[in-house]
Amino acid sequence: MPTTIPIGLNVNGIRHELNVEPRWLLVDVIREQIGLTGTHIGCEHGVCGTCTVLVNGETARSCLMLAATADGAEITTVEGLSTGETLHPLQAAFREAQGLQCGFCTPGMLMVAHELLRENRSPSEQEIRESISANLCRCTGYQGIVDAVGLAASSQASAPAAR
Amino acid sequence: MATTERRWIGKDIPRLEDPKLLAGRATYTDDVKLPGMLHTAVLRSPHPHARIARIDTSRARALPGVFAVATGEDAKEMTNPLPAFCAEPVVQYCLAVDKVRFVGEAVAAVAAVDRYTAEDAVALIDVEYEPLPVITDPFEAMKPGAIKLHDPLPSNLAFEKTLSFGDVAADFAGADRVIRRKLRWHRASAQPLETAGAVCRYDPITQKMDVWSNTNMINYVGWLIANTIKVPAAKLNIYPMYVGGSFGSKHVLGKIIGIASMLAKRSGRPVKFMEDRVDNLIASENLACDRFYDAELAVAKDGVFKSIRVKVVDDYGAYFQFGHGTHGNALAQVTGPYRMGSFEYTVQCVLTNKCQQGVFRGAGSDAGNFCLERLVDAAAQELGIDRVEIRRRNFIAPDRFPFKTPCGNVYDSGNYPAVLDRALEMSGFAELKRMQAEARAQGRYVGIGLATAHQRSVYGPTEFWFWYDSPGLTTAPESVGLSLGPTGEFVVTMFSPFWGNSPETVVAQTVGEEFGIDPSQVTVTYEDSQHALPGAGPGGSRMTVMLTGAVAGAARKLKDKLSRIAAHQFEAAPEDIVFADGGAMVKGSPDKSMSYGDLGLKAYWYKLDLPPGMESGLEARHTYDHPYLTKPSADRKDLGAFYPMMAHGAHVPVVEVEPATGRVRFLRYVAVHDVGTIVNPKSLRGQITGGITQGIGMALYEQSAYDADGQPLTASFMDYLLPTAQEVPRFEIGHVETPSPFTEYGVKGGGEGGRMIAPAAIASAVEDALAPFGVRVDEVPLTPERIVKLVEAARR
Amino acid sequence: MKPPRFDYLAPRTLDEALAHLHHHGDQAKILAGGQSLIPMLNFRLAHPGVVVDVNRLTDLAYVRQHDGGVAVGALTRQHAVERSELVRARVPVVAEACRFIGHAPIRHRGTFGGNLAHADPASELPAVMVALEAEMAVASRAGSRAIPAGQFFIGPLTTALQPGEMLTEIRIPAAPPRSGGAFVEMARRAGDFALVGVAALVTLDEAGQCARARIALCGVGPTPVRARAAEDALVGQAPTTAVLDEAADRAAAATSPPSDVHGSAEFRRKLARHFARQALAAAIQRSGGR
Repeated sequence: MPTTIPIGLNVNGIRHELNVEPRWLLVDVIREQIGLTGTHIGCEHGVCGTCTVLVNGETARSCLMLAATADGAEITTVEGLSTGETLHPLQAAFREAQGLQCGFCTPGMLMVAHELLRENRSPSEQEIRESISANLCRCTGYQGIVDAVGLAASSQASAPAAR
Repeated sequence: MATTERRWIGKDIPRLEDPKLLAGRATYTDDVKLPGMLHTAVLRSPHPHARIARIDTSRARALPGVFAVATGEDAKEMTNPLPAFCAEPVVQYCLAVDKVRFVGEAVAAVAAVDRYTAEDAVALIDVEYEPLPVITDPFEAMKPGAIKLHDPLPSNLAFEKTLSFGDVAADFAGADRVIRRKLRWHRASAQPLETAGAVCRYDPITQKMDVWSNTNMINYVGWLIANTIKVPAAKLNIYPMYVGGSFGSKHVLGKIIGIASMLAKRSGRPVKFMEDRVDNLIASENLACDRFYDAELAVAKDGVFKSIRVKVVDDYGAYFQFGHGTHGNALAQVTGPYRMGSFEYTVQCVLTNKCQQGVFRGAGSDAGNFCLERLVDAAAQELGIDRVEIRRRNFIAPDRFPFKTPCGNVYDSGNYPAVLDRALEMSGFAELKRMQAEARAQGRYVGIGLATAHQRSVYGPTEFWFWYDSPGLTTAPESVGLSLGPTGEFVVTMFSPFWGNSPETVVAQTVGEEFGIDPSQVTVTYEDSQHALPGAGPGGSRMTVMLTGAVAGAARKLKDKLSRIAAHQFEAAPEDIVFADGGAMVKGSPDKSMSYGDLGLKAYWYKLDLPPGMESGLEARHTYDHPYLTKPSADRKDLGAFYPMMAHGAHVPVVEVEPATGRVRFLRYVAVHDVGTIVNPKSLRGQITGGITQGIGMALYEQSAYDADGQPLTASFMDYLLPTAQEVPRFEIGHVETPSPFTEYGVKGGGEGGRMIAPAAIASAVEDALAPFGVRVDEVPLTPERIVKLVEAARR
Repeated sequence: MKPPRFDYLAPRTLDEALAHLHHHGDQAKILAGGQSLIPMLNFRLAHPGVVVDVNRLTDLAYVRQHDGGVAVGALTRQHAVERSELVRARVPVVAEACRFIGHAPIRHRGTFGGNLAHADPASELPAVMVALEAEMAVASRAGSRAIPAGQFFIGPLTTALQPGEMLTEIRIPAAPPRSGGAFVEMARRAGDFALVGVAALVTLDEAGQCARARIALCGVGPTPVRARAAEDALVGQAPTTAVLDEAADRAAAATSPPSDVHGSAEFRRKLARHFARQALAAAIQRSGGR
């Protein structure tokens, strides 16, 4: 039997105790052992960003992280954005502005956009493009995504409570 | 502009597909998990051309966690050759048999407990190769005496033909000038973010093979796949999946399904094979056109185009699976929006030691548009006629439709001057010219591009075979099921996969339009192939036309039944029943109405209230065939109508080029498309901006490159460059709508237009930017180095 | 594309890490940010026997004042360096260069030391360290030593680090008054590896003449290229157009660029000339000169 090591991951607020092979990538542990398949695999060399999650609150490419390194970390995936039937305001903005087509890049894009809006409450178009250029989309040509993030920003601005 | 007032068709409604995609809850192929499922890794050839002398899989088989290993010898026994779209068989199995013919060709496959272990096992497979001479240059490969890739074939020239329409010789003889260009369109790759894959589960007792795969054409060529994997066609069941983009690269996936099915049979467990990114880059079933054009445009001195002669050599790579379909569809629009009376098209399809071609959005018409529009710009320059004016002079006039082209294909409708006018207006063309002059005075190289080009939609299957003398298939349908349940809820059942286009939204909007209900109330579901009706699935910009047609057909059937139920209820005539506001009513008598809930309950539970002889239930299934397809003549002088839904667009990109570095920056990008009646404006706009972005990729960034020894140079996303949000501008999109007379609602397809037109427009823009140097742009992609070299050459 | 099997150690202190490295010698590979190592593992281009995960050595993540300049702990994330007020104030060209490293998610994990120890010839930071004449503090069980940046990078993906050694700190001196620095780069797309990058630092004297110049390029040789002949063309001269042109020419002549699908050696050399010129002009402007 290959050697495994025990790790603990806090994913979307739930603690998971797992035994992982040291070489297992965080994205595979999220998808397979934890069973959250919203985080996707697109390239496995850190270029496309479909595997993007939040690790301790910061975006990171989960295909470039060993699950073992993430021991003890707080991970947020796309499943952690929406609660029950309600879409997160950012997801609602993506729907309104049609910031998606096939949906494969979308979870990663949402994490990057989420972080951007947390750090910059009214980003310019150029700032949005710079931020989302970390993630590839092959369907939209990015315009719907840029519009979605802009829409979310302005909704956020007029909303009473910070998210 | 559309003259019909519609309630839902043409409206921006939020997509039905989006909530689950946004929540990360859609099931893509890699999300499928079955008990006991194994994972596959594939050993791929490091040689571009070699005999397989010996394969030793013993060490791989012995690795704990490995359940099955297969090689080409197993493929020969357990599978049949892959289905091919060409008449001359170029035999190909899902694993290489006896020989490898390109770097990356699959040689062996392993199924193991997880992908990590499968890759460990692949590293333990020993293969002895006997390298053979490598052929990468298609011109060398064509020569008699060149080393043959396939022994049974007479040569590497897999296919060669000239088709000629009208009096080409006379039109050229009578021309005042012949514009000639040699053009190069490099090989690119669709590279959707989701790679291709399949999960296969085999039951040896019932011989049933279940397949979950992001493949397409499930209910079109499914029976051919069954033959490939040696399963009775009636026992093959394919589930349409949510697909993370395809752009043509996931049409058949015979190799992937072949490998997974073999390993499933052999291991006795379900087997998943997902390509990884390297697999997809170097061994995809669907790389794109790799063309050398030598083309001539015969013109009169007043700028009128008389004829065009296109000679093209296309490097198909090692196999010919999809045949010359990428030339067939290009024939639909060789003469573009222009009035020429004749044309000649000579194609030579050559095999070389590279990964094979398939189709990638545009599918050959993208390259064809590049060829034609480069010639048109060249004609304008050589004749000293303004390039906007020369196009106007040659446009088919709006009152000439339906228009029969020299080869027999029909253009259903169009208004090319209106599209051009709108593009010029939106771009502020005159002001752009002033801005350009100012920029030039400052030593900046700003260029304004123009392309007015066609985007054919809804392929007719005759284009797969009219290059040959013997006939072939003439069906390309799409089907839906439509039911109204006892609670008044409409359900549409689809049989083809979701690719990122918006099929659920389109069918919901159509149901909404037909029955007067809110589309968000419609439930859409998918059915597997054992329960499906015929359908060729997405691709070729057909889905919106075909789905609206299928739903309209099913709606007519359902309304027929509903009106008879309502008429029976109210003692009225069925012709007097109308559908609006959530139910059916007698025209002019709003008190005589039944909601869909009432109708549904009645139909399912109150048989004795139904007209005598009527079956209970409310379901209609409809197969919508190609709305306008005719056979080619026996002598192939008239190819018939095969792509008559002819959409069109005009693009005006504005770029700045830095001659010292070759960098290209977009200042603006205006695109006006006419795709007939628009169903969902935002969705269409997304297809256009996405398509143009892929066109920018083709024009400036993307090439599936090989070195002279056949080694792939772009085997990762660090080298095969997809544009990011910083490489593309905000697009200004405009629309004109000339409805099709042949489709439901007058819809045409618009999914490919962005990529079919943008490379020509961007080439035009870069050439215009570098006009002070006298640069001619004849090649895409225009990498920075190619641009710098063009400038240097022009300076010398 | 999954990593091959390896043994895994996750030390909690530097001493523990150094003990592991000593014990496993050249079988050991340090895993810090993983943004360079893990792709290599996924491609199975690297087959380390033992991976020593140093992410728990949080004491090695810091940015501190040092002798007027800054000292950066090797495990500091690139993002933190880019955002550091201290770095922006004292060695701003470092923060400028960090912004070219991939994208933010990569910089959240990638470490300053890891990038340098990886020594990719196209990486920005090695060239910047060479231009700034930084010093690499290296530790092993035997003790510690300091290696000047100019001697640290010895080949593609090869540094002066011996088996058993680990980079712990990078000390970057501040520039004298009337200095300006710039980092410029051309890549095929935003965030890609540089085709060519240039780090330039110039110091002017009271007369506005160039008193000191440091120029290093990335992407144009097996290691960062320190363009000393270009520097010589500047020192003691007024920074005129002709002088900058000459310096840029010499910088290009000092390169031995690779050829690949993104550009031939000849093309990269042209770019080197173009961007050296640009970097020098920007550095001069920032030093207060014209």
